[in-house]
Amino acid sequence: MKIFLHELKRGAKSLLIWGGSLAMLIVIGVAKFAAFADNPASLAILDSMPKALLDSLNMSAFNLTTLSGFFGAMFTYFGLMGAFAAVMWGFDAAAREEREKTAEFSMVLPVSRAKLLSMKLLAALANCAALVLITWAVSLVSIQAYPPEAGLERFIRAEMVAMFLLEIFFLALGLLLGCALEKRRGGASIGLGLVLGAYFLFIISRMTDKLDFLKYLTPFRYFDPAEMLRGQGFEALPVILTSVFVVLFLLAAYTSFQRRDVFI
Amino acid sequence: MSANILLHELRQNRKSILTWSTGLVVVIFIFFSLFTSFTKDAALMNDVLARFPEELRDAFGLGNLDLSSVEGYYAFSFVFCQLLMAIQAAGYGFGLLSADETELRADYLLSKPISRANVLTSKLTAALLSLLITDLVLAAATFSAIALFRGGMSYKPAAIGLVLLGGALFQLVFLSVGLLLSLLVRKIHSVTPYALGLAFGTYVLNAFSGVFQDVKLELLTPFKHFDPGYIVRYQALDRPFVLADLAIIVISIGLSYWLFYRRDIAAV
Repeated sequence: MKIFLHELKRGAKSLLIWGGSLAMLIVIGVAKFAAFADNPASLAILDSMPKALLDSLNMSAFNLTTLSGFFGAMFTYFGLMGAFAAVMWGFDAAAREEREKTAEFSMVLPVSRAKLLSMKLLAALANCAALVLITWAVSLVSIQAYPPEAGLERFIRAEMVAMFLLEIFFLALGLLLGCALEKRRGGASIGLGLVLGAYFLFIISRMTDKLDFLKYLTPFRYFDPAEMLRGQGFEALPVILTSVFVVLFLLAAYTSFQRRDVFI
Repeated sequence: MSANILLHELRQNRKSILTWSTGLVVVIFIFFSLFTSFTKDAALMNDVLARFPEELRDAFGLGNLDLSSVEGYYAFSFVFCQLLMAIQAAGYGFGLLSADETELRADYLLSKPISRANVLTSKLTAALLSLLITDLVLAAATFSAIALFRGGMSYKPAAIGLVLLGGALFQLVFLSVGLLLSLLVRKIHSVTPYALGLAFGTYVLNAFSGVFQDVKLELLTPFKHFDPGYIVRYQALDRPFVLADLAIIVISIGLSYWLFYRRDIAAV
């Protein structure tokens, strides 16, 4: 418990920064929305843009003149920010102590390595949850300025669940990187590269039908805001894929952390 | 200038140069492999778009883009490259001096019989060379991708070259600002979050910039200053912005020398 609390305290600043940037993103985004709101001309412009371009921006399925359409388009940014934060937190949970030369101290504590890692992971998970809650709260507050829309709050809730699942995926991936990489230097950049790579695959996979198979490779494709908007809930396959990947990542992370030759 | 430091830094950067260059090459090639299927729609879109008022087009950030041309499509894909380049350059900037401190060898380095200015100059040169290599790889990839995928369409190599030149300057902004920021904070635990924050923050700001016709927040982001769409459309860099950025680069680097001279470096 002490470890958990200590880790929470350590991560608070980072959470504050990420939460602040996400809040700013939403506020700026909603300000941008004012330009679209109830403006048929902007809808016509969207209609005339090529499908591939809209798809690559994840805008095609949405009527951007409504708030729910707008939040649909925003989902990509939520997911991306969440993924960045989560992969960093996961990596830090495993690697931070070695980088800051405190690993020696934690290793002599009377707790097993597995427990140590679990506590750190739980703290990082709490951070992820808090980031989603911040996003959620700011979203709900920011839409108060506009007339209420049916189903909007339910839609935002679905998006937040999806964002949390994305975070869990990248948290586990980051933890694995932190545990398995021999050299800690540059590990965070690898995590960052993987998120960017996944985002790029996501853009590309939507630009043409020929590359549709890529959707299994990038978690950003797993959760489609268009389907959430239609209220169909989540498809089974993406959720299963995410869980399988997360379990695999965690197993690999714990195994390699048990055997790790900790650098002191 | 110390050749030893320069070579050591370049060797340290070897893997990072390779990774970022590969990333950029992959991005360019994948985007251009979709060029032909994309242009058909785009030509149609241009006709329709022409009928809309300019303010609206600007609100969507489409004002400058003609996606049916090689240059326009290149500008569209170059924004993603810019994101990668910004992260790379900011990473070099933030890590240039702070890596020695986090990895507890700054005192060792300073015990060498060379001045601090000398250390910084050598490291800065190494970072500049690393970025230059990446830019050259990107340029080579760009022109070969265009040659392979343009499908007989003509294009203006000068415009593409100008975009690439803009990209190189764009990196310098992130390098120098990153360096300055790294000297302003007391300690940097890990470079990546800082680099990511600076690069991605300005990227998102740019993505939203269309709306800020009143607020003018977009003036803050180098992504806007080196907007490839603008460069392609007018075949020129956005001069006032670029001059301002050059000033920022010079001032940041000057301040960095000053700050580094006075920096209290812990002996470990």
